[in-house]
Amino acid sequence: MRKILRVAQREYKAIVKTKGFILGLILAPVVMGGSAIGMAFFRDRVDTSDKRIAVIDRSGVIGDVLRRAAQSRNETEVVDAESGKKTKPAYLIELVAPAEDWTQQLLELSNRVRRGALHAVLEIGADVIHPRQASAGAGARYYAENPAIDEVRQWIERPLNTELRRLRLMDAGVDPTIVPDLFDWMTPQGLGLVSLDPETGEVTGAERRTELQALLLPLVPVMLMLLMIMMGASPLLQAVTEEKSQRIAEVMLGCVRPFEFMMGKLLGGVGVSLTAASVYLVGGILTVRYLGYGEYIPYDIVPWFLAYMIAAVLMFGALGAALGSACNDATEAQSMVFPSILPVLIPMFVLMPIVMNPNSAFATGMSLFPLFTPLLMLLRQGVPGGVPAWQPWVGLIGVILTLILLVWAGGRIFRVGILMQGTPPKFANLVRWALRG
Amino acid sequence: MTAVQIDSVTKQFGKTVAVDDLSLGVPEGSVYGFIGPNGSGKTTTLRMIMNILYPDRGTIHVFGEALHGACTNRIGYMPEERGLYKKMKVRELLQFYGGLKQNGDVRSAVERWLHHLDLDEWADKKIETLSKGMSQKVQFIATVVSNPELVILDEPFTGLDPVNTDVIRDAVLGLQARGTTVIFSTHDMGMAEKMCDFIFMIFKGRKVLDGTLASIQDTFGSDTIRVRCVEGGQALSAVPGVEKVTDFGQLQELRIREGADPDRILADVMGRTRLTSFEIAKPSLHDIFVRIAGPDAERASDA
Repeated sequence: MRKILRVAQREYKAIVKTKGFILGLILAPVVMGGSAIGMAFFRDRVDTSDKRIAVIDRSGVIGDVLRRAAQSRNETEVVDAESGKKTKPAYLIELVAPAEDWTQQLLELSNRVRRGALHAVLEIGADVIHPRQASAGAGARYYAENPAIDEVRQWIERPLNTELRRLRLMDAGVDPTIVPDLFDWMTPQGLGLVSLDPETGEVTGAERRTELQALLLPLVPVMLMLLMIMMGASPLLQAVTEEKSQRIAEVMLGCVRPFEFMMGKLLGGVGVSLTAASVYLVGGILTVRYLGYGEYIPYDIVPWFLAYMIAAVLMFGALGAALGSACNDATEAQSMVFPSILPVLIPMFVLMPIVMNPNSAFATGMSLFPLFTPLLMLLRQGVPGGVPAWQPWVGLIGVILTLILLVWAGGRIFRVGILMQGTPPKFANLVRWALRG
Repeated sequence: MTAVQIDSVTKQFGKTVAVDDLSLGVPEGSVYGFIGPNGSGKTTTLRMIMNILYPDRGTIHVFGEALHGACTNRIGYMPEERGLYKKMKVRELLQFYGGLKQNGDVRSAVERWLHHLDLDEWADKKIETLSKGMSQKVQFIATVVSNPELVILDEPFTGLDPVNTDVIRDAVLGLQARGTTVIFSTHDMGMAEKMCDFIFMIFKGRKVLDGTLASIQDTFGSDTIRVRCVEGGQALSAVPGVEKVTDFGQLQELRIREGADPDRILADVMGRTRLTSFEIAKPSLHDIFVRIAGPDAERASDA
């Protein structure tokens, strides 16, 4: 054990004392925070130049309404009342009388869009009020350079449909002013469950759940876990290959057994991750509390985070060390990077489906697969409502068993691979070394 | 008592037999030289003594114990390929290696060795700034700093200049004087002749020589005449009773055919050219090595 700790201490110092680690420690949150600030900053940097929209209204009843709606919007929403600055583009509706040769008219208007004189062309069909009764020409068509993502098109929907509903009610002989809230849309407010306060015996009120809680909060610990794995485990692959190619490994094997050598390196990685995690956890919690969002911090998952992190660094570190010991040079090690990070990469693809349905069979199954547990169980635990109490424990037991298996197999591969020169890191070789030792 | 006892050890890599049924006893306190051509099995044998490689058959005992890794603390090992952490400082690195093998404080031992090998000024420099010779001296200290009872050095003199060669040689002999057993492999036959109590030669995985220099030479007898000819080696072609002439430029070696009379050969040579010196001697280790592993021997064994 003394030797393992000696090797771990050297590994830890070798990484933590580098400028790269210290810079990375500072830069990672700066980059993450910076990108959030950047997104917020650039979100406000919208194009405020006016947008002119040509409307060909074959129904004869909508165009003028759209023009008035646009005018009203331009008067109330475009200029910030306090600062007097223009914050949004004004929408200018240009009504165009339908021509007989409608294809030629559409072409000319499209060319105006291409020249930049127009933003888009809206064509409203003649029978737009009662599209179910019409065979053709009942819809509304929006022509633009990039119509799929177009805020003008999205804006038009509301005044267009409001007027159509009003006209349909009039046609049916109903005065819309009698039922002014007839079409008011209701969205159920998202709330957590009520619970019984054990001290007072009262039923506590449900908390309001926001998108921030639902999406952002579960993702933050997962991203932090990913960062810790990248810092603590991933560098092992290339470090081991380097030690092998520079013949340091043989000198080390004259002093320690291969398993002690590998375990020392793994524990060094765990130390690095714990150091970085401590900095981020303490720093993050203090910052979030300072900003007044302390209530959102999921303190109950912090111990799980640390347990999963130590296990993950050991698991993926053993995998990296075994693969690294099988490589002969940096080029071979580079080609092994992808397979080594695959178990970390796959959970990244299923984050959203699992956040949306954290207790589905898919989510449960994926998070109980030991290689994915550290990231996906943590994700599910972060989602409001959490997971059944037994699942993190079962997940952790699975992770510990897998970790023992991987460290055992990794140690055997490492012992053979570290002295094997010129043999390419083939999968069959790795299996043979793991089984035969 | 033997420091290392190897009994009927065989090691194969795939279909290649690297070491074939090898038995060897290294007495405690001796300097034992391992010689043999490249790829003959020297390093594999050393690695098996170190328990880095495991024999397929046979047993190895170090200080009477079967190897289970733990007793490597009693052995210092310097591999042929030098490998040091380039970013570490000399002192820090030596304390790390010393600390791996020895419980307790190794700092004073590190300082003593740094001073002994004239590396005090380099103690706080990073390994990557050292010359090859200095790196080799640092590697040597890393091997011996924990005061092991057995020191295994794989090609310790390769790449060293004469001054550093002398420094390492003196250090090795100093270790022996303190009772340390030293095994080293080398291609420098002169060094092996001068330093080793026992010499072991391995060729194609098999032991071909083992014993003191004198006992090895005795098996070949006094079958060599060394002469210095004024006219050089060309005067010595086709001398009756001579099996082979090796011309070193300033010195010529004549190997006497079995049964031939050395006096008659000398008389013949003196009739051809003027000699400035001559001696009838036992073959050098270099010559013995070449006889066993040289091209002629290779051809003979292939035939």
